[in-house]
Amino acid sequence: MRFAWRLLLTAALLAAPGWGATGKNKSKAPAGLIYVLANDDNGSLQSTVSVYQASDTQQGPTLVFEKSIDISGRGIGGGFFGTSRITMLPDASAQCLYASNASTGDIAAINLQSQQLAGNTSGYRRDKGNTNGIGLVMNGQYLYAGYTASNTIGVFAVQPGCQLSFIDDVSVSGLSGGWIGGMALHGNLLVVAYGDGSIQSFNIANGLPVSNNDEQNSAGFASAYFPESVDITQDGHFAIFGDAAIATTVEVSDLSSGKLAPTVQYSLGLPTNAVGPGLNSSTVRLSPDQTLLYIGNSQSGNVTAAFFDKSTGKVTPGCATAKLNGFYNPWSYIGGVVTRDATGTGGVVYAAEFGSSLAVLTVTSNGTSCSLTESAASPVGDDLSPGLLSIQVFPPRPF
Amino acid sequence: MRVLFRVILQLLLWAALPAGVAGQTICPTWPAPGSPVLNPLDLYSQNGTLSVNLTLQNQKEDDGYMHYCYVYIYQGQAIEAPTLRLNPGDQLILNLTDNIQAPYYRDPDPASRKHSVPMQHMHAAATTQHALKLDDPCNGTMIEPSSTNMHFHGLNISPTCHQDDVINTIIQSGDPAFQYNIQVPPNDAPGMYWYHPHPHGYTTTQVNGGASGAIIIEGNLQGTQGLPERVMVIRQIFQNPDSWLPGPNELTVNFQPATYPLAPSPVVNVQYGQAEFWRVVNASTQAFLTLQIQFGSTPQQLQVLALDGVPLQSPVYQTKIDLPPAGRAEFIMPGLPAGQTGTFMTLGYDSGPVGNPNPPQELASIVGSSGKKAPPPAQAAGRQPTRPARFSGLAALTPTTTRSLYFSEQTIGSNGPTQYFITVNGQKPKVFHMDDPPAIVTNIGAVEDWTVENRAGEAHAFHIHQLHFLLMAINGVPVPNPELLDTITIPTWSGSGPYPSVTLRMDFRDPNIAGTFVYHCHILDHEDGGMMAKILVNPAN
Repeated sequence: MRFAWRLLLTAALLAAPGWGATGKNKSKAPAGLIYVLANDDNGSLQSTVSVYQASDTQQGPTLVFEKSIDISGRGIGGGFFGTSRITMLPDASAQCLYASNASTGDIAAINLQSQQLAGNTSGYRRDKGNTNGIGLVMNGQYLYAGYTASNTIGVFAVQPGCQLSFIDDVSVSGLSGGWIGGMALHGNLLVVAYGDGSIQSFNIANGLPVSNNDEQNSAGFASAYFPESVDITQDGHFAIFGDAAIATTVEVSDLSSGKLAPTVQYSLGLPTNAVGPGLNSSTVRLSPDQTLLYIGNSQSGNVTAAFFDKSTGKVTPGCATAKLNGFYNPWSYIGGVVTRDATGTGGVVYAAEFGSSLAVLTVTSNGTSCSLTESAASPVGDDLSPGLLSIQVFPPRPF
Repeated sequence: MRVLFRVILQLLLWAALPAGVAGQTICPTWPAPGSPVLNPLDLYSQNGTLSVNLTLQNQKEDDGYMHYCYVYIYQGQAIEAPTLRLNPGDQLILNLTDNIQAPYYRDPDPASRKHSVPMQHMHAAATTQHALKLDDPCNGTMIEPSSTNMHFHGLNISPTCHQDDVINTIIQSGDPAFQYNIQVPPNDAPGMYWYHPHPHGYTTTQVNGGASGAIIIEGNLQGTQGLPERVMVIRQIFQNPDSWLPGPNELTVNFQPATYPLAPSPVVNVQYGQAEFWRVVNASTQAFLTLQIQFGSTPQQLQVLALDGVPLQSPVYQTKIDLPPAGRAEFIMPGLPAGQTGTFMTLGYDSGPVGNPNPPQELASIVGSSGKKAPPPAQAAGRQPTRPARFSGLAALTPTTTRSLYFSEQTIGSNGPTQYFITVNGQKPKVFHMDDPPAIVTNIGAVEDWTVENRAGEAHAFHIHQLHFLLMAINGVPVPNPELLDTITIPTWSGSGPYPSVTLRMDFRDPNIAGTFVYHCHILDHEDGGMMAKILVNPAN
C-alpha cells in the first residue's frame, strides 16, 4: 500500500508542469523510464549513440534497443578501457548527454528529452584523441575532455540547450610521459590516471585544471600495476582506481587533504601467476549506496563486485560473475560498468562488451556476501558499435 | 590493434628525420608490381669461407614508409639482402656497418617531449638516452632507434659476441664495421635459415623496413637435385601508416608488393611441366601464413622436405603449409600443366579475437610457358656432415627437467598499449628488460621438456635462439613423428577451457651454446613489447 502511494506521488510529481525546469537545461524527465546509452564509437561511418530502455524488473532484466542518435562525427572503435567516452550532467532533471568522437576530435551534445543532437564542439586543433579516445567527465558547469593523443584536457562550459562552449585546454602528462586515461571529479577536484602508472589531481575551482602538485606513482607502479580508471566517493573522501593488473587489484587514495595521498593497494583475488578470472581491473564504479565497488575485468571477461567501506576506504573481496556469455566470441574485452538504479546497490549492472554488446547482470548483496548473475537475456547486441567501451545510465547516479 | 601506440612513436620518429634523408637513393629500388619474381643475389662460400660486407641503412620513401636495407655492393651496384650460401662447417665472416639515420628526440622543451613520447617505460628498450659513441659493441648499454645487431635465425651456434648474441651486442650508427665470425656447425643439416636485426625495442621497425635475408646451408635434400630452385623471402611492410590499424597485411615477395587486387601480383615464371624446388621464409613481422599453390582452382599436393631448416624424417605431402612468423618451408612444387595458370597464396589465419588480422592474400601468380628461363637448379650434394646430425636421438632421451611456461598479455586499451609476457609458471609475469636476470638457468648436457601455453586471446609464435626443439606434443597429445623446429605457433586461447599448449624437447647438450640467450614470441612487436626472457646455460662441470 505504501509502495503504491509512493508510486502515485512520484508519478504526480513527474507529470507536473515545469518539473525540473528551474535550471537552464532542466526539462521534463521521462516518467520512470531508465535508459542505457552507449557511445557506439564507430570509426568507419558516422558514429551514433544507441539508446536502450531498461526493464525495471529484478528478475530477468534486459535492455530493449529504442533508437540510435547520429552524433555527426567518427569514433575509433577502441582505445583505453578506463576512458569513458560518454557522460551526462549529474542531475536527473538536466537531460544533457555528451559523447566524444575521437577520430573527428569533437564532442557531441545530445538533448535526451528530444533525443536529438544539439550540436558538436571541438577544442583546439591540437586537441586530439584519435589514438585511444577522448574521455569525458563533468559537473554542473564544466565538461572536461581528456585527449589521449595530445595529452591535453579541454575545458568546456555547459550552455543552455545542452550546448558546450570551449574555454581552453591544459597539457598534462604522466610522470613517465604516460597518456591521460581515466578521469573523475568531485567538487573542486579532478583526478586523473595516466597510462604509465602515475596519478594526479587538479584544482578546478576556476574551471581550468590547476595541478595540486601531487603527481605520484601509484602503489602498484612498482609491480607494473597501472591505474586505468577512477571513481570518487560521494563525499569526496576517497578516490578508487582500477588497475591494469594480473589479478583483481584496486587502489584507494585518501583525498581528505584536498590532494591525492599515496594509494593503498587491494589485491582481491588470484595468485599472481594465474591468468584467468580477474585479469585487469580496468574499470571501476561505486554502487549508489557505496557499499559495492563494481570492477570490469577487461581481459578475463567477467565483472567483480568488491565490498567497499566508505568510512575507511577499505576494499574487501565480494563476488564475481563467471565468464560472461560470448567472451572471445564475439566480443573480447569488458569496458565500462554502470548500474541501473540510482539507489542501493544499483540492482542491475550493465557492462560494455568490446565487440558489439552489453552484458546485463543482477546484483544481490546482504552486506557480507553478494552475487552477480548474468541475465538470461544477456548479452544484448549493439549492432552499431564495432568496439563498444563506454556506456551511461539515465537517470544518473547521484554523484 | 595494439601496435598502434608503437607506431605513433615510430611516426613521430620518422617525422623528425633530418631533412635530406627523405628523397635520397640510399636503399635499392624495389621491383614494380607485376614484375617477375627473381631470386635474391646468391653469395657462395669459397674454400670454406664466405666473407660479406653489409651495411644497414634506411631511407624514408615518398609514401612515408621507412625502408631499412641491408646493402651489399656487387659489381658497383647496391644489392639488397643477398642470400648467404654456406656448407656445413663453413666460416661466415660478415662485416656489418650500421648506417641508420634515425632521429633522436632533441626537443629543447622537456615538457613538450614528455607529451610526445608515450609510455617509455612500457616499451622497455625505447630509451631516448644517447649511447656513448665509444661503447664497446660487445657490451652495448644503450639501444637507440639507430642501434642494430644481427641474429642468425635457426643456426645452432654460440650466443657470444661476434657470433649470435643479441643481448650484449649493440652496434651504434657510425661505429666501425662490426665483424660477425661464425662457423656453421659441421653437423648441421642442409636447409634454409635467415638473418635479421634484433635490437630489443626496434626489431619490428627494422624488419618491417625490409632488413632480412636468407641463409642456405647447402646439401642435398631428397629429390631436389636438378630442379629449378626458388628462394622466396616473404616480408611484411606497413607502407601506409594507417595500415597499422586493423586491415589487410601488406606482404611482399622478394620485395615486390603482393597486394592483389590493389596491384598486379608478382609473377613466377615457370616452364610447363617442370617441378620446382621452393624455399620460403616467412620474414614478416607478424603474419601467420598458410601457404598454398593452386593450379586453376585446384590446390596442389606439395612435397614438403624441410621445415625451419631441418629435413623432415620423410617427405610429407600437404596442400597447405602453416608458417608462423620466422618459419621456413622447403618443398617441391609439381609442374604446371601446359595451358594452365597457378596461384601462390596464403589462405589466411585466424589469430584470435584480439590478434592482428591475417586475411587470405594472393602472393604471386604462376605463369607458364615452354621457353621461360628457370632459376638455376638446386645444387648437387654439397659437403656432407662429417658427424652425426645435431639433436640426433633426442626423441628417445629422458628429459632431465620439465618446465611450464606461458604467454599472456595485459592491456590498458583495445588499441594498446599492451604488456606482453612470457612467464615460467610460478614466476610473476613481467615485461622483459634487457638487464633482467635469466628466467631459466640450466646446464650444458640437460635435455628438458617445456610445455608452453597460450593464455591470451591471440596466437603467439614461440622461438628460442641457438637451438632447435623437438615438437613432442600438442595440447598434451603426443605427436606421432616429432620434427625439429625453431619457431612454432601456439594457437589462441578461446577464453574458456584448457589453454592451448605445445610440449617441446629442448636439447642443451651442445657445449657451443653455453651462455645467455633469449626465447620470445616472434610476433616482433610482441618481442619488442617485452614478450621475451633470458635463459642461462651454464657450461658443463
